Amino acid sequence: MNIKILNDYNFEKEVLQPKTPVLVEFWASWCPPCKMMEPLLDELAKEFAGRVLVAKLNVDQYRDLAAAYPVMGVPSFFIFKLGKIVSGPHIGAQSKTRLQKIIEEQMDRVG
Amino acid sequence: MKKGMHNKDCTCWSCPAINLAGKVDFRACGQSVEQIKKFQDEKGGGHIMAECRRRPELGLYDPMAITFQECPEWQDTEYGYLLKNMRVMILGIDGYLGWTLALWLGKLGCKVSGIDNYSRRNWVKERGTHTVVPIARMTERLHAAKEVLGIDIYFRELDVLDKVALTEFLKEVKPEAIVHYAECPSAPYSMIDFEHAKNVQSNNVIGTLSTLFAIHEAVPESTLIKLGTMGEYGAPLTGRPLFEGFFPADAVLKWQDKEWSLGGELTPRDPVSFYHISKVQDTFNVYEACKYWWLRSYDVMQGVIYGVHTDEVAADPRLRTRFDIDEWFGTIINRFVAQAIVGIPLTLYGAGEQIRGFIALEDAMQCITRLIAKPPEPGQYGVVNQMSGYYKLRELAETVAAIGKKSFGLDVQIQRVENPRVESERHPFNPIFSKLPDEFGFVQKDNIEQEVSRMFSLLLQPNIKSRIEEKRHLILPKTWWSGQKKEVERIELYK
Repeated sequence: MNIKILNDYNFEKEVLQPKTPVLVEFWASWCPPCKMMEPLLDELAKEFAGRVLVAKLNVDQYRDLAAAYPVMGVPSFFIFKLGKIVSGPHIGAQSKTRLQKIIEEQMDRVG
Repeated sequence: MKKGMHNKDCTCWSCPAINLAGKVDFRACGQSVEQIKKFQDEKGGGHIMAECRRRPELGLYDPMAITFQECPEWQDTEYGYLLKNMRVMILGIDGYLGWTLALWLGKLGCKVSGIDNYSRRNWVKERGTHTVVPIARMTERLHAAKEVLGIDIYFRELDVLDKVALTEFLKEVKPEAIVHYAECPSAPYSMIDFEHAKNVQSNNVIGTLSTLFAIHEAVPESTLIKLGTMGEYGAPLTGRPLFEGFFPADAVLKWQDKEWSLGGELTPRDPVSFYHISKVQDTFNVYEACKYWWLRSYDVMQGVIYGVHTDEVAADPRLRTRFDIDEWFGTIINRFVAQAIVGIPLTLYGAGEQIRGFIALEDAMQCITRLIAKPPEPGQYGVVNQMSGYYKLRELAETVAAIGKKSFGLDVQIQRVENPRVESERHPFNPIFSKLPDEFGFVQKDNIEQEVSRMFSLLLQPNIKSRIEEKRHLILPKTWWSGQKKEVERIELYK
């Protein structure tokens, strides 16, 4: 699997510190749309390897973290850059082209 | 991926031997994350922790910390890591699939238990027919399993509708996986009349509901493997793909210049008999129970099953599984072989151009084992389409006829008769069935030619052939979807 699994210990380092964009999915194992996103996110992780990190956080396991962000439902997608949300929440299943577009918008931006 | 090790990276998060502990809040299931925030405010922060019933010395720990590969309780087998002495309960253990799976899992080292109330034996008896492969009484089956294969099976005569007794038995055995085969599997049986439709639907729908409530009360962390059918989807004339239960993330609904994602929504169902309707109702009951109570289930949309062989059932005549050939309980390839043996033309309904998915008995056993080995996550309702290929029924008849002629010297004809069912006879068919091979490591072992040859060899034995002869008048259909009871007229006969 090419998707980074997030937890309490690595969230700061993997999501908040990098200068490059990070796509984060907030998900739950009881959520069918979240499960359907798995193969698609894996493809995106491969496609953007080295440029954009694709990561996911289980909202049941890490409630504190989920509660710190405007997650209104799952799946919710955000793009983080330098510790800030620069895009999102995008709620519900997303097509690959839509996620590509969301990521590329942030890659084009300077700073 | 090492062959067969499809589950090496699974963690305690999906292990049925784990109790979830710490800040578990089931109110959050399927609801807005605002609920979680409310819970945070009321109860303070914290994580869900794991507590292992098999290794209590670990105390409370992060459920993602240990993988199946690292855990000494999960042991290397041909079909992935399996829990040591894994406790598996089979509901409907006396049936065609249930008995075969009991021996198969027992041989793999599982501690097998099961229930049955002999409904299948009674339904078949009620129609005046019998299994053409003779099967032993349960007491003798259990004795032979011990004597020949060294397997202890813990059996209890119990009706799945008896929720109180089922709950008690679950509490006593504490199964880590439950395979639910305790349903009436016949479309024509459900179409006989009101009484039969009612019995099939109440046995199947209320039986599954009873199972769900019992699991919730007794063993909520256990895996439920529930048998559905590819027939739940129907055969849409547009030829759209029959996805595995849910639309993929990329699927979009387009209407009046607007677009909505369908990703993760249940796909349409189009059942074709009162029996298939009961299976669709089950789908919704299991789907919702997973959401409400964080149960974990795989719903198996099985193609039409055929075959007689696993090494275990073939080990002794007392271990054989049942084999029905009548219009109600005989599946199509099994019926074709029986017809070829007693000189009845292989019978196609209507055009014979219908297309269906199929899977051999032994391959179905492999699939179920691989599902047990990679349990769903808390609250997960997963769907797999379980089939190894799909064929036009006319082509299958030709294949069986060719094997009968070439390898067994039989004179086999094929006939088309009026179709007593209400179904499309010419239709596209585009099933997706990649999850089992891609995510669970399923590798097809049996092909139709090989299994059909095995069936001919067994069914040509004189005692079995004479049992087919005795019931030959019950092979051609007389149950019409219209409600009529009459013989079907022949449309065409060809060699």
